[in-house]
Amino acid sequence: MILTGSPRKTSVSSVFNKGILQNIMNKADPKELWEYVLTQVELSISAANFNTWFRNSFVVRIGEDGVLYVGVPSQFFKDWYLKKFHTLLLKIVRDISYEFRNIEYLIVKDEHRKPPKEVKPARGALELPLDEFYINKSDNLNPRYTFDTFVIGSFNNLAYSAAQAALNRPGITYNPLFIYGDTGRGKTHLIQAIGNQFKKQYLGRKVFYLTSEKFAVDYTDSVQAGSANRFKDKYRQYDLLIMDDVQFLSKKEKTQEELFHLFNALYDTNKQIIFSSDRAPVSIPDIAERLKGRLASGMAINIEEPDTESRMAIVQKKAASHGVMLSPEVIEYVATSMSGSIRELEGMVNNIICHTQVKGSAPDLAEVRQSLRSFTRPQKNISVKNVVDKVAEFYGIDEESIYEKTRRREVVRPRQVIMYILREDFNISYPTIGTKLGGRDHTTVIHSCEKIKKEIAVDNELLKEIQNIRTLLV
Amino acid sequence: MIEYFIKNRVSICSVFNYPLINTPNKYLMNISIEKKTFSEAVHIASRFAERKSTTLPVLSSILIIAGDEGIKMRATNLETGIDLKVEGECKGDGVVAIPAVLLQQIASSLTQDGKITLEHTGDIVTISSGTGKSTIKTVPYDDFPSIPFPENPKNRIVLPGILLKNLFTTIASCASASTVRPELSSIYLSIEGGVLTSVATDSFRLAEKKIPLSNKGTQGKFLIPAKNALDIAQALPDDDIIMSFDEHQCAFVSPNGMLVSRLTNAVYPDYRQIIPKESIVEAVVLRKDFEAALKRTTIFSDIFQKIRISFDPKKNIFSLFAKNADIGESNETISARISGSSLDLSFNHRYLSAALSLTNAESLSLLAAGIGRPLIIKGVNDTSLLYLVSPMNQ
Repeated sequence: MILTGSPRKTSVSSVFNKGILQNIMNKADPKELWEYVLTQVELSISAANFNTWFRNSFVVRIGEDGVLYVGVPSQFFKDWYLKKFHTLLLKIVRDISYEFRNIEYLIVKDEHRKPPKEVKPARGALELPLDEFYINKSDNLNPRYTFDTFVIGSFNNLAYSAAQAALNRPGITYNPLFIYGDTGRGKTHLIQAIGNQFKKQYLGRKVFYLTSEKFAVDYTDSVQAGSANRFKDKYRQYDLLIMDDVQFLSKKEKTQEELFHLFNALYDTNKQIIFSSDRAPVSIPDIAERLKGRLASGMAINIEEPDTESRMAIVQKKAASHGVMLSPEVIEYVATSMSGSIRELEGMVNNIICHTQVKGSAPDLAEVRQSLRSFTRPQKNISVKNVVDKVAEFYGIDEESIYEKTRRREVVRPRQVIMYILREDFNISYPTIGTKLGGRDHTTVIHSCEKIKKEIAVDNELLKEIQNIRTLLV
Repeated sequence: MIEYFIKNRVSICSVFNYPLINTPNKYLMNISIEKKTFSEAVHIASRFAERKSTTLPVLSSILIIAGDEGIKMRATNLETGIDLKVEGECKGDGVVAIPAVLLQQIASSLTQDGKITLEHTGDIVTISSGTGKSTIKTVPYDDFPSIPFPENPKNRIVLPGILLKNLFTTIASCASASTVRPELSSIYLSIEGGVLTSVATDSFRLAEKKIPLSNKGTQGKFLIPAKNALDIAQALPDDDIIMSFDEHQCAFVSPNGMLVSRLTNAVYPDYRQIIPKESIVEAVVLRKDFEAALKRTTIFSDIFQKIRISFDPKKNIFSLFAKNADIGESNETISARISGSSLDLSFNHRYLSAALSLTNAESLSLLAAGIGRPLIIKGVNDTSLLYLVSPMNQ
């Protein structure tokens, strides 16, 4: 009866309506399709019924086999749809196209539905840090890692663009996407953000994130339990597979072989695969050639060391995400006082945030310096002599000349640098520095420190020199 | 009865989900019920009817069914639902839907003993009790939804209704009132190794309570919206009930009827990770001392409802302090057994007093892990409770 497409009792306006809407509608787009269906349903049932049953529903996806999946809030709705509205809905979608074979009803997760407006109780109580430990069990992704919190700079611009390209046309543009770079450069953040974004962009498609180590353990377990086939099936069902730290697969030959087959299976069905590693595919040791080739076959992108501006942006964003506004000097200090890993940078920011929460106000530069002492330089066991030695060695001058009363240019600059470092990093008093460096007046020391401080602001070379010296002092 | 249900799992579904009666109009309902029974049933059932009038009118009604299985009252707001058996005499089968508010008002106005009779004619129900007689317009019941039972309820446990009732009523207040995060406005129930663990948190404090179960086989976990849990708690009988659940729905079945609720379909945060493993100071105080001191200090708390607690291990004194610029300040000291180092922490007093309703223990143990870290409150000799509260900014 439904298939005959007999003329329905519809008012003139609805026929008109339908004509227009149906022509401009893109029936492959779940949202437009559902909106059209709703306009039709609204005409057929009472307003109260419509408001009660259709307000919170939507099309989750349109299956390849012509099945339309409709998301409903609870079992009450599912039962009632099946009982009361199934024929009506089926008739409407059949009118649109005969491609739609059936409608199925899914009970969808609460968070997929429209989020209500946020009301924050402003009572000044600290929240229990539930969010930080919140990991989605079905896909292993940590929702904390999103593109919103991802800082893009010159160092990772390429990787970010590739990620976006892969997201727009998953499985086609860059497959596999291979991201590599030293530890703490944000690889995990980037690839998890891809996963989270994918989940949002393509509702109903499956994402899975895991580390290569987890993969290896899973494989060994399944072999032991004699369920290797289940293992194969489990990983083949995903539309996007993200594997972190593949370098740990080196020397695990059987696991590599399994990954090789999994890779082929996913790749052949145009499923997107994303890898990360701490080095380029070719330089991962003890890994089968054929796997190496496949890892490198898509797009391999290096995340470089973040530049100072990016580091400052990271510090600012990270602090802001915890609701702490830091002054520009503090941000600069934190960003410049350590090179390399973003993870350590995050650690420092967390430290500042903790202090802020305990004290109730954002710290100033002096306090930050105090609280980050443990991160920056180990203070103990470093004598003035040690610093002098290292600096003299760095500039290739005789350390004795530092203590002398000479004003030769090649000696004056290192001497000032020494004073600056002693003051800034080790907090030694001006008079003490003066005495230790050949009985100079404390005003001389103050002048030197100020001078270097000013020059650092404009002279990048000098800044780099001082950073290098600092690494020597660790 | 319960055993009967367990043995014949299928039969439960058939008992409660039989298709809605297609009574021909010539059979019209005629029932008579004891007034007291009627009032109680109406009060329980009306709780499950929709209170907002914006939706389908039949959802704000109670469906009264008289048939082969006796008299039943049904109500649902599409979140929760009830199917309640009512004892009474059934002279004619039939179905009517009557606005819940109206029935409730009638039920609470009934005074003397005796019976109440409901008679259905046309679209009118005549209610007669003793000397009075009133007629009510019915609501068309065609749109009354079916009440879904869990699809494949292999997860089931039997436990005394009174336990679950107490559990829900005490712990539900700790869940979040906002609906922004559905998982936090729900109670997390997990059954493992013969223990039912329930957790509720609004991200400022967290309560975990455990109940031992008689059968140890079942495992599983689910999230029930706290609001629904409260409604269900009000309607649970004290005797043994069967609690069954699947992915989307849970049901509480007793010989008197069935209660169902939608489940929250979300992932609960791994809350165990935020429970501090170690503590730097512990205070054991008498519950009545603590309760009284807290009550007095609360009077002086400021707009943030802040009070400060201090551990003094040297003098073995636990003190509470509050200061309000408009009123004044107050300091209460109570003697306590304190081990560890001295520490000051500030809390919202409401979160502290909430712990008292969760345990009956004579003395309480307060464990602090340091500044800015959550405080744990437990009942001494009461291993069932764990209460975690986050401090305020100093």
